[in-house]
Amino acid sequence: MTSVQRTVSLLCASGAFAALAPILSAPRVEAAQTIYNTSVPSVIRVAIRENNPSGEPDPRGRIMYVEAVPFTTYCEDVLPNEWFPSWHPEALKAGAMAVKMFAWYHHLHPVTIDGFTFDVDNTTNFQHFQEMSSQPTTNAAFQAIQKFAYTKPNGEIVELNYSAGYENDPNWQYRNAQKMAQWGSEYWARHGQNYVQILQFYYQNRALMRLP
Amino acid sequence: MKRYPSKRSVMVASLLASAVTMAIPTQPQVGALRHEHARALHGAIAAMAPVEIAPVEQRAETGQPPKPRASERPAQKPRSGDTRAEKPGSSKAPEKRKPGGSTAESAKPSNGSKPGPTQPAPPKGVSPAAPKPAPTPPAPAQHNDQPAGPESWGYTRKTAKLRIRVIDGRTKEPIQGAEVVLIETEQRFKTDAQGYTPWFDAPVIRNPRYRPMVAELHGQLGAIAYKDGYRDSIHLGIRVHEGIRQQTTIWMYEIGPVDRRIEPVLYQEPYHHLWLVRLADKFRSHTQPGEGPERP
Repeated sequence: MTSVQRTVSLLCASGAFAALAPILSAPRVEAAQTIYNTSVPSVIRVAIRENNPSGEPDPRGRIMYVEAVPFTTYCEDVLPNEWFPSWHPEALKAGAMAVKMFAWYHHLHPVTIDGFTFDVDNTTNFQHFQEMSSQPTTNAAFQAIQKFAYTKPNGEIVELNYSAGYENDPNWQYRNAQKMAQWGSEYWARHGQNYVQILQFYYQNRALMRLP
Repeated sequence: MKRYPSKRSVMVASLLASAVTMAIPTQPQVGALRHEHARALHGAIAAMAPVEIAPVEQRAETGQPPKPRASERPAQKPRSGDTRAEKPGSSKAPEKRKPGGSTAESAKPSNGSKPGPTQPAPPKGVSPAAPKPAPTPPAPAQHNDQPAGPESWGYTRKTAKLRIRVIDGRTKEPIQGAEVVLIETEQRFKTDAQGYTPWFDAPVIRNPRYRPMVAELHGQLGAIAYKDGYRDSIHLGIRVHEGIRQQTTIWMYEIGPVDRRIEPVLYQEPYHHLWLVRLADKFRSHTQPGEGPERP
């Protein structure tokens, strides 16, 4: 093979490779979103869905508008609607942490539905948000955990999910699902566990981190 | 012609009927009115007795505390057991009567503004942090351990500290000087510059309809806010948990030139969804599982 032929074949090969380049996707390089490379959100976008005929926000209702709510206000207005304000303070702190980390995660992963881009909506699709519904006990719980986050050991922000669970029950099945049972948090708090222990029980391989 | 019934039989029947009528007691039997509510409501149309449930701290000060009840613990130690409704017979009023709280007083309708001359000072339930509005009329204070109404209506002696904020629904600015009436107890309050009423003792009233089946996890109250130039706002279903401090917000709407038919604005606060989940799970049958029981 002459040098001319070699040059031509090389050119053809590189041309073919260049033509394939758009098809072959490059490996995606993405840094994990941690508490070290993101800051606590200052504002969260809340989609307000229309109410059902009895006046409650409908999880399947039409999105009417998206409201920007201060992040702290959002967490304070969610907690009394998800946990009972009369519950044990440690259960409320565990709930406050779950509410905050859930909202933080979704702030980093916004969605677009029906032309609206938002982080969360005001129904149980995400968390039940009701404006100006904060209560003194739940606000105190939120204040207590404000400087902390509950993440993966490397600081990566994950969604802390939760669900109702059963009353007066440790709700072991929720532990397997990496979900906190709301009634379970109250159960453990009544049995002398603090909020970190409650979180450790339901969320495996997670750690309490102090925010930088 | 022989008349039937005969004149004599008619007379006898009339006499018998009269005797039966006379035999019906007009006064209730001894012991039937032992309970405060029965006395208060006897011979009258059932009406709300004036409520002034002394705050927890005040009861401790008076030296005549009622029996220590789980529901009346201080706010720092709420219990999950408190969220259950009492059994109908479990919260009997203490037999000991207080000198100030006579039956006649408790049966009077509340005027809500002027305490009687024999009544003691207004309750000290107002938080030191809470502003003290001067125009707020002191609610009639009686050291009354009785609930505000009959237990069959859901009244209990459990109380919570509550304050209500009134804001303009459009600007979200606080409204000063609005009058807030708590429907269940007829208490009246004025809002301060921040739109807050003072902290007051609110009864925890659970719907007795549900009591035999599933206890409501929180009581519910209703309030109405009045203010000149604004539509009346009725706020129902305010959630009340015993033993803690709570607050709620009433939104009022200014009457504008385009408002033709001006009627009260209603806001009904929904039940807490944890209770709804439990309620639905309780009555679920195997044949109609629906969405199935709560699961992770």
